[in-house]
Amino acid sequence: MANTQTAVFKERPWQAGIYLGMFLFIISEAFLFSSLFWTYYYLRGQSLPTWPPEGVHLNIVMASINTAILLASSGAMHWGIQRIRRGSVSGLAIGLISTFALGAAFLGITVWEWTHATFRPWTHAYGSTFFTLTGFHAVHVLGGLFVLLALLARTLRGRISQEHYLAVEVGGLYWHFVDLVWIGVFTTVFIIR
Amino acid sequence: MIILSLGAVRGAIVGLLGTGVGMGIAMLVRSALGLPAWNPGPVTAVGALAGIVTYLAALGAFNYWLGWIMGAKHDPEHENHSANDKGSRWIRYFNFDTNHKVIGVQYMVTSLVFLVISGVLALVMRVELSASGKTVIGPGTFNSFMSAHGIMMLLMVVLPAIAGMINYLVPLMIGARDMAFPRLNAFSFWIVPPAGLLMVSSLLAGGFDTGWTGYPPLSAKAPLGMQLVFLGAYLGGLSSILGSINFLTTILKMRAPGMSLFRMPIFVWAVLATAMLQLGFTQYIAMSFLMVLLERLLGMGFFRPEMGGSVLLFEHLFWFYSHPAVYIFVLPGLGVISEVVPVFSRKPLFGYKAVALSSVGIALAGSIVWGHHMFAAGLEDVLRIPFMITTLLVAVPTGVKIFSWLATMWLGKLRLQTPFLFALSAIFVFLIGGLTGVPNAIVPTDLQLHDTYWVVAHFHYTLFGGFVFPLMAAIYYWFPKVTGRLYSERMGKIHWLLLTVGFLIQTLPMFWLGLMGMRRRIADYSPVQGFEPMNLAATIGGFLVAMGIMVFAVNLIRSALRGAPAPANPWDSKTLEWQVSSPPPEENFVLPPRVVGSPYGYGVPGSVHALLAPAGGGNREAPKQF
Repeated sequence: MANTQTAVFKERPWQAGIYLGMFLFIISEAFLFSSLFWTYYYLRGQSLPTWPPEGVHLNIVMASINTAILLASSGAMHWGIQRIRRGSVSGLAIGLISTFALGAAFLGITVWEWTHATFRPWTHAYGSTFFTLTGFHAVHVLGGLFVLLALLARTLRGRISQEHYLAVEVGGLYWHFVDLVWIGVFTTVFIIR
Repeated sequence: MIILSLGAVRGAIVGLLGTGVGMGIAMLVRSALGLPAWNPGPVTAVGALAGIVTYLAALGAFNYWLGWIMGAKHDPEHENHSANDKGSRWIRYFNFDTNHKVIGVQYMVTSLVFLVISGVLALVMRVELSASGKTVIGPGTFNSFMSAHGIMMLLMVVLPAIAGMINYLVPLMIGARDMAFPRLNAFSFWIVPPAGLLMVSSLLAGGFDTGWTGYPPLSAKAPLGMQLVFLGAYLGGLSSILGSINFLTTILKMRAPGMSLFRMPIFVWAVLATAMLQLGFTQYIAMSFLMVLLERLLGMGFFRPEMGGSVLLFEHLFWFYSHPAVYIFVLPGLGVISEVVPVFSRKPLFGYKAVALSSVGIALAGSIVWGHHMFAAGLEDVLRIPFMITTLLVAVPTGVKIFSWLATMWLGKLRLQTPFLFALSAIFVFLIGGLTGVPNAIVPTDLQLHDTYWVVAHFHYTLFGGFVFPLMAAIYYWFPKVTGRLYSERMGKIHWLLLTVGFLIQTLPMFWLGLMGMRRRIADYSPVQGFEPMNLAATIGGFLVAMGIMVFAVNLIRSALRGAPAPANPWDSKTLEWQVSSPPPEENFVLPPRVVGSPYGYGVPGSVHALLAPAGGGNREAPKQF
C-alpha cells in the first residue's frame, strides 16, 4: 500500500514501489538497446567480411579511456550511496558531484569522438548504426546527468537524509544501468566490431 | 474565465503557440546554417516537439516534478488529494487530474472519439469498394484513409480503451486506493490527445499510403503525413510503456491484504500479461519508426540496400513488437469475458488457475511468433518452420480460455442481459478469428492467402472478438459503476443485435473474397472478377455496424445524463469494485479490504471473496461479507 511505503522503505529500499518502477523502466530500456544491438548484428551479419566498411577508423584508445571514466563514475555513485546509508549528507553530495563530473567528461569525449570520426551517419548503414547506438547511449547519459542534478539540488536543500534517500538509490540504479549498456556498446562497436 | 481553468484548453493554446515558435526557431537555425529556411520534414518535427513540451507545461504536467527538484517537501499522504479543491466535478476531466477513475474515463472517452473518426474512414472505404470503378474517393485518398484507419484504430482506439479499462478497474479490483504512480499515470494519458491530433492532421499533410505497417522504402518517401504519424505513434508508444510500468507496479505492490496472486480476478491477470508485453516490446515499434524517421530527416541508411542496409530488418523489428501487440490488444478483452461469463452464469469460473496462467502463456508464446508475418517477404528459409510451430502453439492457451468459458456456462443459470450477450458474441467471433488464423500460420497456405482479404477478415474477427465485443460488454457491465446510473437494456440489446449481425455481414464475405484472390489495400477491382456482390454485402454490413454504434452513443449519453440511479451492485457480483458505492468514493475504500477467498464463488455456499469495513466509519466489528 502506498501509505505504508515510507515505513517499508526504512528496512528494504528495493521493496518500495518506486524501486520496482525504476527496475521495470530499466527492463523496457534494455529492450530499446536490444533493438539497436539487433540492428547492428543483423547488418553486420549480412555485410561480412566488409564490416565495418572501408574508411572506418575507430579510436579504441580514447574509447577505452572513456570506458574507464564511466566505470569510475559508477564507483563514485556507489560510494555516495554508501555514505548516505551511514548518514553523511556531505559524502553523498561529493559522490553525486564526482559522478556528474565523470559523466560529463564521458559525454565530452564521446562528442569529441563523433566530430573526429572518419564517417557520418549518412555515409553508409554502418555509420547510421554507429551513430544511433552511441547516440542513444549518450542521450541516456545526458538524461542521467539531469537526474544527478535533480538529486544534487534536493540534497543541497536538505531533503535527503539517512532516513530518506530512496530517490538516490533509484537514481543510482538508473546510472549503473547506463554504465552497463556502455559495456555492451563498447564490446560490440570497438572489440567485436 | 472558466474556459481557461480547463487544462486542456490552456494546453491546446500554449501548445499551438509553442509549435509555431519551435518551427520559427528551426527555420532561423536553418537559415543561419545556410540551408533553405523551409523544409517541411525537419521544421515540423522540431515544431511538434516544442509544441508537445509547451502543451504539457501549460497543462501543469511538470509542476510536481519541478517542485520536487527545487526541494519541495515530499509528502506521500497528500499525493491524491488534488481533486477535492478543484471545484465542480466535470472540470476535473479536462485537467491534469491524478485520480485513476478520472483518468480511466478520460482514456475511454478519447478512445470512443477516435473510434468514430476511424470508423467513418472505414465507412468511406467500404462505400468506395461497394462497386467497381470510382464511387466517392480516388486511389490516393483511399490509401491515406486505409492507412489512417489502421493505425488510428490500433494506437488511438484500442490502446487508450484498454488503458482506460485497466486504469478504472485494476485499483478497485485489487483493493487499492489508486495506481502506484498517479502523476505518471496522468502524464501517460495527456500525451495521447496530441498523438491523436498528429495522426488526424497527417490526413491534411498529404496523408500516407503505406498501410499502418509503414514499411520502408515506401514510408521513407511518403509525404509529410507519414512523419506526423510516426511522431504520433512515438507518443502513443511512450504512453503505453509508462502505463505498463504503472500497471505492473500497482498489481505487484498495491494488492489488499489477503489478495494473493491466485485470488486476483482474471482481468487483473490479463493486465499483468498485457503489461509485460507492453513494457518491453513497444520499444521495438518505437525504434523501427524512429529509424525510418532518421532516414527521412538525416539521410541515414538502415533500410537502404545501396548503403548496406536491409528492408527485411525493418520487418523484423516492426513485427517483433507488432505481433505481441495483437495480444496486448486482445488479452484485456479476453479477461473481460472471463469476468462477465461467471457473473451472468451464476457459476464459478471453470479452471481458474489454468485461465489465469493462460494469459501469461499467450504472452510468452506470442512473443516468439513474429516471423509468420514475413513468410512471403523472403524470410530466411530455416526460420519458417520454427515460426510456424510457435504460432500454432499459441492456440493451446487460447483454447484453454474458450473451454473455460463454455464449461462455466454449462448448466448455469444464464441471464441474457446486454453484457453477457456481447460476451457470447465475442466468444463466437473470436473463435472464428482464431480458427481462420491457422491457415495463416501454416507456410504453404499462408503463401496463398498472404495480403488477400482473407487476412483482413481474419484480423477483424480477432479484433472484434478479442477487443470490440468485449469492450462493449465491459462498457455495459461497468456503466452503472462508473456513472452511478443504469443504461437502457432495450437499446443495449438493439445495439448488440445490430453490431453482431452487421459485423457478420460485413466480414464473413471477406473470407471468400480473399480465397477468390482479392488483394487487400486496393481502391478498386475489375467488374469481371466477380467481387462485386460480396463487396456490396460487406458495405451493407459496415453500415449496420455504424447504426449499432449510433444506438450505442445515444444510449451512453442519455443514460449517463438521465438514467435511473444505479445500486452499488446491480449484477450481484463478487469482485471488489462492486462492493463500494456507484460511482466509487474518491479514495475507493475506507480501509483496505481483507480478501479471504476466490472472486468467483457464485452459487457456492459459504464462499466469501472479501471482508469490507462499512462505509462511513472505522467500525471493524461487523464487516460486510461478499
